[in-house]
Amino acid sequence: MNLLEGIFIALRSLATNKLRSILTLIGVIIGVMTVIAITSIIAGMNKYVADQLSAVGSDTFFIDKWGLIMSDDEWWEALKRKSITLEDMEAIGENCTYCDKVGASADTRRRVKRTGDHLEDVRISGVTANLIDIIDIKLEEGEGRYISKFEEEHNRAAAFVGWEIKDKLFPSVDPVGKEIKIGNQEFKIVGVAQKRGSFLGQSRDNFVHVPITAFFKHFGRRRYGRQLSVEIIVKAESFESINEAMDESRAILRARRRVPYDKKDDFGIMTAETLMDLYRQFTSTAYLTMIGISSIALVVGGIVIMNIMLVSVTQRTREIGIRKALGARKRDVLWQFLVESVTLALVGGIVGILLGLGTGKIVAMNSPLPASVDPLWIAIGLFLATSVGLAFGVYPAVKAARLDPIEALRYE
Amino acid sequence: MLIRTQDLWKIYEMGREKVNALREVSLEIEKGEYAAIMGPSGSGKSTLMNLIGCLDTPTKGDYYLNDKLVSQMNDDELARIRNKEIGFVFQTFNLLARATAAHNVELPLVYNGTESEVRKRKAREALKMVDLEDRATHKPNELSGGERQRVALARALVNNPALILADEPTGNLDTKTGHEIMNIFKKLHRQGNTLIIVTHEHDIATYADRIIYIRDGAIEKEERKKN
Repeated sequence: MNLLEGIFIALRSLATNKLRSILTLIGVIIGVMTVIAITSIIAGMNKYVADQLSAVGSDTFFIDKWGLIMSDDEWWEALKRKSITLEDMEAIGENCTYCDKVGASADTRRRVKRTGDHLEDVRISGVTANLIDIIDIKLEEGEGRYISKFEEEHNRAAAFVGWEIKDKLFPSVDPVGKEIKIGNQEFKIVGVAQKRGSFLGQSRDNFVHVPITAFFKHFGRRRYGRQLSVEIIVKAESFESINEAMDESRAILRARRRVPYDKKDDFGIMTAETLMDLYRQFTSTAYLTMIGISSIALVVGGIVIMNIMLVSVTQRTREIGIRKALGARKRDVLWQFLVESVTLALVGGIVGILLGLGTGKIVAMNSPLPASVDPLWIAIGLFLATSVGLAFGVYPAVKAARLDPIEALRYE
Repeated sequence: MLIRTQDLWKIYEMGREKVNALREVSLEIEKGEYAAIMGPSGSGKSTLMNLIGCLDTPTKGDYYLNDKLVSQMNDDELARIRNKEIGFVFQTFNLLARATAAHNVELPLVYNGTESEVRKRKAREALKMVDLEDRATHKPNELSGGERQRVALARALVNNPALILADEPTGNLDTKTGHEIMNIFKKLHRQGNTLIIVTHEHDIATYADRIIYIRDGAIEKEERKKN
């Protein structure tokens, strides 16, 4: 049987009944579209998360007051916790034997000004000078240095700025050595970070690091009536000793914060691995949702296709009789109708892929979620559509193949 | 001997009743013959045609076509035989409405795996034999009844079959067009084709050299034209 002919017959019958075709294929379209849209969004996020976590070594962990908050109750509970202080950081630094480097940071947002020009809502982090040894901070070449230990110890108004600060406020001059105003305080720029690009719709280059001592001095030690809580960042001696380093840090903090032995930690410890786990949890939920929606849609779509093919077999009983009289065997007729139902489903699949890609693009443009397409998922989309066409086309095709030629020729 | 049937029976069961559509039909038709099978409706001539055309198998009895016992064949083998040995012409033309004349003629070749180029050439030649080359790209609804039946004839011829089997080929045509079609059959016979025409019209049957009369499922009598 001529394959092209079967495809043409299917395409022609689609073109003649446009509304019916759309209704016929809507299930397959939605099924495939869901797969493509969700996987392309997840693929985009994967890229980002991998990129983000690669900046955090597998020997590094974070301690903060909050931990990973998964529910409202946890949030209310965490709100009552004591703040983590620089003294806590120092205690870990002195007593944790498996810890190589211990740093801290605290955040706020301020306006950053240069004469005549300014940026709103820039993330200002007070940091310890050793932060650059703990997490991956890349310096723009020839653009100064990071915050120094001296500046940290002497509350110096020094600033290490993100690429966007240089780009927006110092488009034509070297910013190193120049003054900027953060809030109401003048800071001197000592270095510029490499461009990191944006993610989730937000620039990752509009930040300023200042010595944490200067941070407290100029932006206060209290926030909303409480002492400002810092984040402690620890680099273990090696990847192998990260668990020991975490245990020691936990014990030190529990003792300092007087947590009873039968109570849970009143602080959180996170590693790149725990963040990855959280992310995996999220993506597996997304994948499950996708599998749920798309399999329901594909089954419904398959049933509709089967229905349409049964109508088509009945309408073309006479044609089947003619073909059989002229020498078509059962398998020839079977093939003809299978090709037709697969073509139908594939058209739905292709439309679904295009709409899925479109949806990914639209989501990427209008929300912080990025999208990127893995060709594998396009292949899977086509495979799913083909399978639906085959699985639900078999019954009508077998019915057609089994028709008795004499009866079929007599059919009016 | 092209066709040899031996005591063919076709029995249909209608509920509890058995209907003998054909009873002990023994018939021989030689290569190159032009025969007509005549009989009133309900005589069993359609049943006989279905058996000769390998569209159906007998309940009892043997049927040899070209010395092959076809009465024992399965569906797919019968399909092969129909494709190779038999060219059908029907009362209602039975063309594919959505296909062009040329494509309709090609159809039997599609089912024996002939290459596209060869199919197109053979279809053109067959259409030429019925004087319809200029209508090759027309669809059936753009053709007159006579032209449609000529397309069907070209389709019957295209595979160069051992037997052309026509079932009331003039039944849907006016008298004049009907005779035009019969003249083409005559021409085909002169070129050496074996023809069997099933009809209930006597003046159509007289085109044939031999008339086989069927009544109540059995051969009633035969007439041969004297040369």
